[in-house]
This record gives sequence, C-alpha cells and structure tokens, in this order.
Amino acid sequence: MFLKKKSFALKGAFFIVASMIIAACGSDNTKEESITTPVEDSVVAEAETEEITYSLPSPLQIASIFKKSGLKYKAGITSELKDPAKYTTNLNKAINLGVYSADLSYAVLNKQNQEAMTYMKLSRQLADNLGMGSVFDEGNLSKRFEKNLTNEDSLAYIIAELQMVTDMYLDENDQQQVTSIVFSGAWIESMYIASRVFEKGKDKSLNNKLAEQMTILGIIINALKAEEKKDPAITGLIADMVTVKDIYDALPSVKNNPDASDDLEKELTLTDDEVSQLTKKIEALRVKFING
Amino acid sequence: MKKAYFISLVGLLFLFGFTTIQTTDSCDKKAMTASCKKKLDQYKYDSQKFTKIIFTKKAQQLEVEVPIFIGEKYRLVFNTSGLPKNVKINIYTKDKEAKKREAIFSTKDAKADEKEFVFDAPRARKMFVDYDVPADSTNAKLTGCMIFMVGYK
Repeated sequence: MFLKKKSFALKGAFFIVASMIIAACGSDNTKEESITTPVEDSVVAEAETEEITYSLPSPLQIASIFKKSGLKYKAGITSELKDPAKYTTNLNKAINLGVYSADLSYAVLNKQNQEAMTYMKLSRQLADNLGMGSVFDEGNLSKRFEKNLTNEDSLAYIIAELQMVTDMYLDENDQQQVTSIVFSGAWIESMYIASRVFEKGKDKSLNNKLAEQMTILGIIINALKAEEKKDPAITGLIADMVTVKDIYDALPSVKNNPDASDDLEKELTLTDDEVSQLTKKIEALRVKFING
Repeated sequence: MKKAYFISLVGLLFLFGFTTIQTTDSCDKKAMTASCKKKLDQYKYDSQKFTKIIFTKKAQQLEVEVPIFIGEKYRLVFNTSGLPKNVKINIYTKDKEAKKREAIFSTKDAKADEKEFVFDAPRARKMFVDYDVPADSTNAKLTGCMIFMVGYK
C-alpha cells in the first residue's frame, strides 16, 4: 500500500517535471511569435539601439498650411474622379488613397462640400479595396461627415478623427508602411495643387511654403526606406520620390542656402524658374500615380 | 493515481498561466490613444507614433524625427502607461548625431508614477523626440509600448 502510494507520488512528480518541460517549450514558442527567436531578438535590440524612426504629418495639416499661406480654390485641378477599382496593386491603392485624402482636405478647407463628399466616398471605396474600410464606420465617421457637410470646422475635425482611427488601425495591424505610402501620394497631390494655384512673381508666401514642404521630403523618403523590407513594392516609390528631391537639392537657391531649413527667421524663396522645374517633376510623378 | 494527475494538471495550468503573463505586455493602445486625444484639447489631431520597447541588457536611445512647420503651433502628448519601466523622454531641435544640442523638454524630473506628459512646442524648425531606455539586467525580456500624439493649431 505504502509502495503504491509512493509510486503514485513518483508518477505525480514525473508528470510535474514533464509539465514543466512542456510548459518551458510552450513558453519558447510564445516568445518566438511575439519577440522572435533569441538570436533575432538580440538583432532587434541592437538595431533599436541605433534606430531613428519618423513621424509623418497628416494631409489635412499640409492642406491647412497652404490654405493659411493664401492658397485659393481653383476648380478642376484635383484628381479626376475615376473608378477606384482600376487600381489593382495595393501600392497603387494606397498611393491614390493619399491623393484622394489630399483632394478631400483641399475641398473641405475651401468649403467645396459636394466635391468633399465625392472624395470621401472614393476614399471609402479605396479603403474597402485595401481591406480597411471599417475605419470609416468607427464612431459613425461617414454618417457624421454627411450630416455636417455645411460646417467646414466640423468636417475638418471629422477628417482629423478619421486620420486618427486610420493610424490606429494600421498600427494595430502592423501595416505602418501603408501610412508612409498614403502620405507620399497625399504629399505629391498637395504639392501639385499648390504649384498649380501658384502665380509667378505674386505668391511669395506660397513660394516659401512650397520650399518649406521640400524639407520634409527627406523624412518621407527615410520613412519609406524604413518600411522597405516589409513591402519591397515600395522600392519603386522611393526611387520616384528621390527624383523630386534630386531636382530640389540641385536648385541654386537651395545650394546657396544650405542652412535654410534650420533658420527660424528666414524662409527660403525659390525663383520662378526653380518653382517651374520642381513643378514639372511633381506633375509628371502625379500623372504616374493617378494612372496607376 | 487520480491525485497525481490532479497535481500534474494544476502544475500545467500554473506554468502555462505564468508563461502567458510573462510574455504579454500591457499595451492598451486604444486607451492610450483616447487619453492622449483628450489632452490635445483645442489642438487638432495630426499624427501619433507608437513605439514598442524591448528592454535589453544594454541601454538604448531611440529617436523619432517629427516634422514641424513655421507658423504652426504644436502640442505633443506622451503616454507611457504601457511600459513596465520608466523611459526618459527628451526633445531636441537637433538629431542625436549633432555635436552639441540642448533639450527643449525633458521628463528627467518627473515623478515615478507620472505616465502622461504634455509639451507645447516653442518656435522651431525641427524636432527630435528621444527615448532613453534604461538597461534591464534581470533578463526578464520586458516589453511594452509608449505613444506620442501630435496636435496642431
């Protein structure tokens, strides 16, 4: 009887030890899923020690900056309202979601309510195609947008909220690269709109803002490069954005003022010819984006 | 025999439960976002940046470049409630490669239980947010996350 009890106790102990071993293996597996393997882990830690990451602004802020600098509304310069279904790759969908969001912001800030509504719907369709349409339903954003069509301030806040929900969604789904791609499309469209409205020799403030925007192109490129491993399709987009930066960096006004982007008191002014050179490149890239 | 199986089962449950607790960080991103949004107050939401922190034996310095524009007013709200250990936040107008730079904001004097920080940026052309992540010698593989939100007006 005593031996039997001892045997049960030994078996029990054996099961506990076995359980511990199984649990230990289970623990390792869990780590592999969340933090990768120990070897990769140290690589992650090492990389993060030196890591610089980038935060990108919203298309609405860019539109707002241009608006404050005197950018007026000009009909017919935003992207043609085509069928979002024509964009077949995720890269083109994301780029054109950015293009639409810039057009949406421009329309809202200039009280073009119906146009704003159309871009909101197109953005929704593209977001659906990217599998992230649900962000438009968070907090009834779509419905609230329709209800507040005549209130520019409310619409701007709704777009800002949509941006927040989208950022949150992309972060939770580990799709931060989409944020950078969408912003690239939005930035090119915003620059295109500003350059189309710009009047040679008249709009000094707008000229300054176009030059100021060029200072964040480096951040956009770096943000894209940081996500390149996650989505190799980004490589072509990086090359496209670099061509714009190359043209800007070679402009005499830029070369002659290397510290202009650090100067708090003085904003860089480009010559009309320099704005034209920049505009041509931005227009060409914008056509490429929109044609998919 | 039944007792032995029972003991084993309890052992298993305990160990699996313990492992799960050990490898899960406390990142309630929705709650952190909502809390930061409140603190933006009159500033319009612009962007947010979550950073996953993996504490290692080596101290780390992580940097985020934040683009800012002339004429805009900015507010940055930080929430560190998803971290198991405090991380020091510093903000500079130059990057960490610069030879000389001074912090325009720092949480170095913050109380240990302070988890949310609001910073209204002065006029500047560039902003670099640095996280000084302390070393963790416990080998516990601590992880967590923090967020900052940018608002403008």
